[in-house]
Amino acid sequence: MLELYTSEPNTFFLKPLIALAEKKAPFTAHYFDAANFAQFAPDFPTNLEAQLQLEREGPLLVHDGGLICSTSFMLEYISESLPGPSLMPADPCDAYRVRAWAQYLGASLGSVVPVLGCAKYLRPQLAALDPALVDRSIAAIEPVERRAGWLALRDGTYSADYLEAVNERLAAPVARIEKALREGPYLAGPDFSAADIDAYPMLRVLPDLAPVAVNTQATPCIADYLDRIGARDSVRAALGTAKTAHPERQFVPGLEASRWG
Amino acid sequence: MLTLAEKGVAYESRYLDLLQFDQHKPAYLAVNPDGTIPAMVHGSQVFTESTPMMEYIDDAFPGPPLKPQDPAARWRMRWWMRFFDSYFAPSLSMIGWSIFIGPAARQRPPEELHAAIDRIPLESRRIAWRKALFNEFSADELAESKRRVAFATLALEKHLSRSAWVAGDSYSLGDINGFNLGYALPLSQPDQCNDVKTPHIMEWLRRIYERPAARETWAKGRTQMAARIKILERHPGA
Repeated sequence: MLELYTSEPNTFFLKPLIALAEKKAPFTAHYFDAANFAQFAPDFPTNLEAQLQLEREGPLLVHDGGLICSTSFMLEYISESLPGPSLMPADPCDAYRVRAWAQYLGASLGSVVPVLGCAKYLRPQLAALDPALVDRSIAAIEPVERRAGWLALRDGTYSADYLEAVNERLAAPVARIEKALREGPYLAGPDFSAADIDAYPMLRVLPDLAPVAVNTQATPCIADYLDRIGARDSVRAALGTAKTAHPERQFVPGLEASRWG
Repeated sequence: MLTLAEKGVAYESRYLDLLQFDQHKPAYLAVNPDGTIPAMVHGSQVFTESTPMMEYIDDAFPGPPLKPQDPAARWRMRWWMRFFDSYFAPSLSMIGWSIFIGPAARQRPPEELHAAIDRIPLESRRIAWRKALFNEFSADELAESKRRVAFATLALEKHLSRSAWVAGDSYSLGDINGFNLGYALPLSQPDQCNDVKTPHIMEWLRRIYERPAARETWAKGRTQMAARIKILERHPGA
């Protein structure tokens, strides 16, 4: 039995939906409203790893009773455990590239994109709710690192200076991806792979969130890549699971930025 | 290194003295322009991300497999490696720098250290080195690092009370990665990691240190850091 606890198909939530569609794997979807604290309900599935996961908010896969979280590793799990085409390259060098991208993009885009998205969309959404209810919901979140992602939306952390500094942290990963796509059509080797499933959901929101950094002139290879990956049947199917008109506007806190600066 | 030793892969080792900033000198930047360590060269390929590098070694070379067969166990192995790399290690190294390495490095003239920092290619690494070399950690940051080390140590103890090894019932890359981080814990964090508070971690560290590959690898260490491993001898002095 395969179940996916998922929210609107955007950023981290979009990844396993694409992977499962590539595999043509049947699964039961449990939809929850991640922007409205549904994942903190007492009956929501969890375990030690899900509580401590560094992506903080994200989808959960439950396979034969075992709980899988953290999307990059979830993609490898889907690739290894389900029938259908492998999402990992057969060549060990290319497989290394998939994992190196996952590590690098997790630390870079994974900590930047959610902040920009939350600043633009989640912050006003929360501001429209009953403040006492929001504060109570956030205060109950454990552990403290996970709570901090939500508190930052309320305590003035998201100043103009802070958001500008976060925007600046986009430059290095965007340049690295643009360069890689100038050299080949996919991120890790000659074929579509888990690296593309990992990167695409974080990239596709950037023309909206950071239009100066990512656009057809500044990053033509990324723009073309977004069109090509977006045209895949699996991506269209995954996006088709949306329950709102604008899934690309749902954001929840993601990875924290490096504490080393 | 420990992964290569476990696999029995022969390799040529190029030792870098990090406090002489060998990793930011032209000879090394020709291998890895980012100036981050470690880097591994195999044929025409360069590998610079250490944990993905471990999986590459396991995938590309013969020798005993260091990843479990079961996909769920592999997922658990990868999850814990990321937890070690991205949560545990940065806090532990902040404490280590503020107490041990930073004071030693500051014996050298500040202008020499500034010049060394200016040669670092990545801005994010320049910031981190500046913080480390000049002890620019705030009291809050250090307190938070200590809290995280204590928290992560307890989480690992909880995990190792469920299974003998990081991935489950077999030794894997997850144990290699965790040992690299954890071998010095009983010495550097004696209040957090000891036989009473974290018996499963202590037993796990000793079991790994009994492996010939671990002994062989730590024997190559050239600093006091490497000597700390002796605390894991089951019969000190025997």
